[in-house]
Amino acid sequence: MTAPLLEVEDLRVRFPLAEGTVEAVRGISFTLGRERLGIVGESGSGKSQTGRAILGLTAKPGEVTASRLVFDGIELMTASPQVRRSLRGSRMTMVMQDPRYSLNPVMTVGQQIIESYRAHAPVSHREAKRAALAMLEDVRITAPDRVMALYPHELSGGMGQRVMIAMMLITGPELLIADEPTSALDVTVRGEVLRILDQLVAERGMGLILISHDLEMVASFCDRVLVMYAGKIVEELASGALGAARHPYTRGLIGCLPKLAGDSHPLPVLTRDPAWAR
Amino acid sequence: MTTAPPLLEASHLSVRFGVGRLTVAALDDVSFTLAPGESLGLVGESGSGKSTVLRAITGLAPLSGGHLMLDGVAVPTPRRMDFFTAVQMVFQDPYASLHPRHTVDQILAEPLAIHRIPDAEARIVAALKEVGLGPSYRFRYPHQLSGGQRQRIAIARALILRPRIVLLDEPTSALDASVQAEILNLLEELRRAFGLAYILVSHDLAVVAHLCERLIVLRQGRMVEETTAAALRDGSVKADYTQAMLAASKGFTRPAPADPAIAPARNI
Repeated sequence: MTAPLLEVEDLRVRFPLAEGTVEAVRGISFTLGRERLGIVGESGSGKSQTGRAILGLTAKPGEVTASRLVFDGIELMTASPQVRRSLRGSRMTMVMQDPRYSLNPVMTVGQQIIESYRAHAPVSHREAKRAALAMLEDVRITAPDRVMALYPHELSGGMGQRVMIAMMLITGPELLIADEPTSALDVTVRGEVLRILDQLVAERGMGLILISHDLEMVASFCDRVLVMYAGKIVEELASGALGAARHPYTRGLIGCLPKLAGDSHPLPVLTRDPAWAR
Repeated sequence: MTTAPPLLEASHLSVRFGVGRLTVAALDDVSFTLAPGESLGLVGESGSGKSTVLRAITGLAPLSGGHLMLDGVAVPTPRRMDFFTAVQMVFQDPYASLHPRHTVDQILAEPLAIHRIPDAEARIVAALKEVGLGPSYRFRYPHQLSGGQRQRIAIARALILRPRIVLLDEPTSALDASVQAEILNLLEELRRAFGLAYILVSHDLAVVAHLCERLIVLRQGRMVEETTAAALRDGSVKADYTQAMLAASKGFTRPAPADPAIAPARNI
């Protein structure tokens, strides 16, 4: 048995504010192999902060502590900023939620992909361009040479998200954190983007953390699902085993979705038990 | 014998943006009727024109063809005041549709002032109660409210004029699943209580099937299919496009692993 790609133990993220300290992530632990792991929760459950903390992108004045945060044998908590910067973008990357806000609006798509590649690999501009074209082809963009010359506002949502994925994968990372990669997209386009992610992860043997609020989508996509509530993991589920969910929060989340089969009026509403957050 | 005209009748609506070579047909020949107390869904992907239908009804998008009848009477352009006492709209994003520097009280008082309706005080308190918020919310600013509470305020603002038709543009897509359930329940309750007719725009087929009896599927500004929620539930929708949307909404399905012998070699 090889060591896992990422080990997280007792990860905490705190924000000291004037009104008092807010603990966004409150001691979560999990390990990730070369697999697809889903993190599900509602707004404010700490799922995005978990992803950011692993990459070292927690916004100031946030503080991250963990008794163990190990990526491929490297202890991230004690690593120097230089080491973390060299990992970030090349060996571990993150795909952000909305391509409209995450791409540089005044640079063409091609320039941005080439820039991110050359920041991490000592390659010539020509070589980087060739790699960028190949990568755009890998994310099923037809006519990549035309798309390379486009600005982000000329892309549709689905295309923008594929460009983001291409930009993040061009350095060949081992860990990809995708923060709501499909929630700005239509259902029909969503399936396509997920299929591309799925195939690239399988082909390259990457570890993927998929962060989303969409429990059903994540459960149908990932090998394992962690359900977060108020900064804690309340339940871990195997793929496709939503029916086996035992925690009342998970069951409540599933129950309050309107369903095409067997609709109920009125919809059951989630009643929150303060004990879950303890 | 004459039958009563439908509450709202849209015939051959078309909306075009741009001129000449750059013309985009956002809506092309869309017709439907809405009966009193009925609820109609509009579904389609981004750019299919579903929101444009609502904007065309309210006059926010210029009609370049077709006409609208309210109670059997043609709706004039520009819309008159009495049109808006009958038709009101709730927008998609409650974080963007409420004035950030107006209190809830000011937000709810504005439609009353525009329409010169007396007794604003009592109507505002009653409107808050209808959407399940106490009077303590009256003097708060939008940033002091959660997403679900903001959407309740947006609904209260639409209902305070006692409209007969409420246009709902993705009313829950910016909200968490548990909050979505609360808002959907509220919308159902209000519809029953006031006999409202809804036109609901959504890309979520389950939400549309939950709230509407009939629905129209749009694609690239054209009507693909007019069907019922029951047909959506048992999967008997006719158009291929609707079937594809139905399949896509069921979550991710992993294609069967390809045989490496026949799969084309890829250089990674």
